[in-house]
Amino acid sequence: MKQVVSVSLGSTKRDHQVEVEFLGEKFAISRRGTDGDFDRAFALLQELDGRVDALGLGGLDVYIYVGRKRYAIRDGLKLMEAVKHTPAVDGSGLKNTLEREAVYFLARESGLIRAGTRILMVSSMDRFGMAEALSEVGCDMTFGDLIFTAGIPYPIKTVEELEEIANKTVPEMVKMPIHMLYPTGKKQEEQDEAKVRKFASYYHDAEVIAGDFHLIRRYMPDGLNKQVIFTNTTTRGDIEFLTKKGAGCLITTTPVLSGRSFGTNVMEAVLVVLSGKPPAEISPADYLELLHKLNFRPQIIHLWEEK
Amino acid sequence: MAEHCEITESLKVFRDNFNQNERLKKMNRDWDRVIAIKATDIDSLHTLTLRKGDLSLREGASETPDLVVISDSETLADLFYGDVTPTEPYLNGTLKIQGSEDDIIRLDFISLMIWGE
Repeated sequence: MKQVVSVSLGSTKRDHQVEVEFLGEKFAISRRGTDGDFDRAFALLQELDGRVDALGLGGLDVYIYVGRKRYAIRDGLKLMEAVKHTPAVDGSGLKNTLEREAVYFLARESGLIRAGTRILMVSSMDRFGMAEALSEVGCDMTFGDLIFTAGIPYPIKTVEELEEIANKTVPEMVKMPIHMLYPTGKKQEEQDEAKVRKFASYYHDAEVIAGDFHLIRRYMPDGLNKQVIFTNTTTRGDIEFLTKKGAGCLITTTPVLSGRSFGTNVMEAVLVVLSGKPPAEISPADYLELLHKLNFRPQIIHLWEEK
Repeated sequence: MAEHCEITESLKVFRDNFNQNERLKKMNRDWDRVIAIKATDIDSLHTLTLRKGDLSLREGASETPDLVVISDSETLADLFYGDVTPTEPYLNGTLKIQGSEDDIIRLDFISLMIWGE
């Protein structure tokens, strides 16, 4: 049995474990939150290093890809230093491939994403692949990075402008403590009420709301009108939350295992084990080949049914 | 050590760059703030006032600033001339900013939008 553990800066309330088989290989997969405690996450990674087959880092990215540039997040690199022996990944390698494929699949096979669909990406600088793919399909994009991260009510409408602004801001933002940029620990269970009120119209005007689930959740207003939520990491509790808010449909890019979809870091760790290669040697083409073998498809859950 | 007039000149450059950037003005039309700039090693106080997307500068203190930017004179001049970004001096404690975390992040973004790569 292969052991994969995701160590997350997120809440322990989301901890979960499953046993599952991929391509004939049995996996025990678990997620262990540390409630935003950086030192605890570091110590846990040190403890698990050399004792499991692969590690995932959750609750923060280590790398952000903007076009062809890769930026390293300082806090993420510090956490990576805890791991000396076991392959460790943050999901960014897979995200670029998996989420692009998910968009192309949905555009091809479902009516949920098509040219002209109004899409709000609450955060896009952390998932540039998804942003590019949605734009390629011809969706009417609103990239909300400035709105929700910086509180600046300026919707970025094109990938070109997103890339230009990212190249100005990301090289410095990655040096900042992660808690200033992303909800960690207990903040993941709370909403930013001021921004929920101020920026509700961006959610209400969109047909699809995409991006990181913790950010989507943090700023989501009441009274949605059956919008589609396109994200990855969700639990049963999240599904209840979305239903209560009025969302119509949930699409997750990672498969649902025992009632929840794990983070991209977990799935990337699984693929690293299956490939048998060190993470640095795995190319997007390798990930793509494995994804096709696994027949990974976006999971669609309808939250609302006409009575 | 920089002189008071150098800080003034750097702030004028910052103000002019902001006001010539139509996109930045549009982004900040909703953000009316008074920002005090205070040097720790010389007697130097300035006030930047952002109203409806226009940034103005005056010498001297403000009684009720929303944000207070505090550092040594050299760092302040470097910062507003765009020779250094605020992140490093903020993280190593050379630069202190008093205000809400949301306002600090927004000010950081504005600075990066002017001086970023």
